[in-house]
Amino acid sequence: MPFLSDRITNRLLTALPRLGLSCFGLSLVSGIILAFVYRPVGNVFQNVEEITTRIPYGWFFRQFHYASGQMFVILMFAHTLEHFLKRRYRTYSSREWAVLILSLCLCFFVLFTGFILKGDKEGIFAGRIFMNLLLSIPIGGGVLSRVFIVPGESFFFLPYLYHCMILPFLIGYLIRKHVREWMPGQGSFFWATMGIFVYALLIDPFMDIPPDAPVNAVKGPWFFLGIQTLLKFLPPLWGGLLIPGFLVGCLFLLPLAGPFLQRFLHYLLVASLLLGTYISL
Amino acid sequence: MNRRGFLARVLWGVLCTIGAAISAYPVLSFITHKKITSKTVTFNPQDQASTVTYKEGVYLVKDGPTPYALSSTCTHLGCTLNYDVVAERFRCPCHGSVFDRSGKRLSGPATKDLRRIPLSQAENGDLVVVLEL
Repeated sequence: MPFLSDRITNRLLTALPRLGLSCFGLSLVSGIILAFVYRPVGNVFQNVEEITTRIPYGWFFRQFHYASGQMFVILMFAHTLEHFLKRRYRTYSSREWAVLILSLCLCFFVLFTGFILKGDKEGIFAGRIFMNLLLSIPIGGGVLSRVFIVPGESFFFLPYLYHCMILPFLIGYLIRKHVREWMPGQGSFFWATMGIFVYALLIDPFMDIPPDAPVNAVKGPWFFLGIQTLLKFLPPLWGGLLIPGFLVGCLFLLPLAGPFLQRFLHYLLVASLLLGTYISL
Repeated sequence: MNRRGFLARVLWGVLCTIGAAISAYPVLSFITHKKITSKTVTFNPQDQASTVTYKEGVYLVKDGPTPYALSSTCTHLGCTLNYDVVAERFRCPCHGSVFDRSGKRLSGPATKDLRRIPLSQAENGDLVVVLEL
């Protein structure tokens, strides 16, 4: 039986990243379709509600884009986690490892910009928190924040630019080797399409909170709930940037560390991940 | 690598860095140009009926003889505050900061009081606030 379980595990570990890559392709296609109707200026919330409720099949394309994007990042995260838990940073070159971690960070950033672009109360608050976190950097924070997001009528424009133009190209470039190697796998593309299709067909989009609706508590995206909790107890610079930045930095530097430091950083990251998951749940 | 080769590499590196900085500066200045925008919020006499009124990012508070305007933006990380009528407190739905009706910070991660915005009265009785974005 161990043979069978090994075989199943290996097949899963081979299939899941390929499914993830297929989801990336599906999110690109559905994103292009949505971009014909989505407008990042004016009343964005109203525009998203129109897409969801009035425009033919809008609800389907929105759910398809949401599900394929989420699945891509979740499977990308699982792929990175597998490499991390198997301590592949010992054998990978620091450049290869940095590309893997950078791709994952960009994947989460693309999800985050998508969360802002919903245009509802949660999205607007997430954008404002992000902007104020960057503004809390003592030197150059103001300039840096304006690279990503600006207040006023263009609030959604820069996240839109990153979500649609910059990040997909960057991610595609960073994972180009996998795209070349895995894309011929038509089976995974078929199953990914079927799974996302059924999800989009059967599951209704989440209820969006209108920007002016008073609500007692607003939650950030699931992958930032740990940071949201840290921000309740720590100053913005520490809770929102320095501690998460330190952990990501440790992840980047793993291949360069000596054996003892490597082991220490490994367990530190595992503990942080477990704590973050516990808080998120 | 001999000394001449090393020096040539260092010089080349310095020149490239200076070149990159010279090219990056105008690009960065262009894309991060700060455009100051503001909007006017008007509270007409009907809006002024209750003690605390919210409109487009501003809370108008009529606590005594002189009304005042408070920014509804939490001083922690910019979420819009809710007004709790029963407790007479402003509460942040994101990270839980609490402010009293005068805008004074009471608890939570925010460290500053709410920003007071100058209020002007028009001839027809409207109270006008200019909010900088």
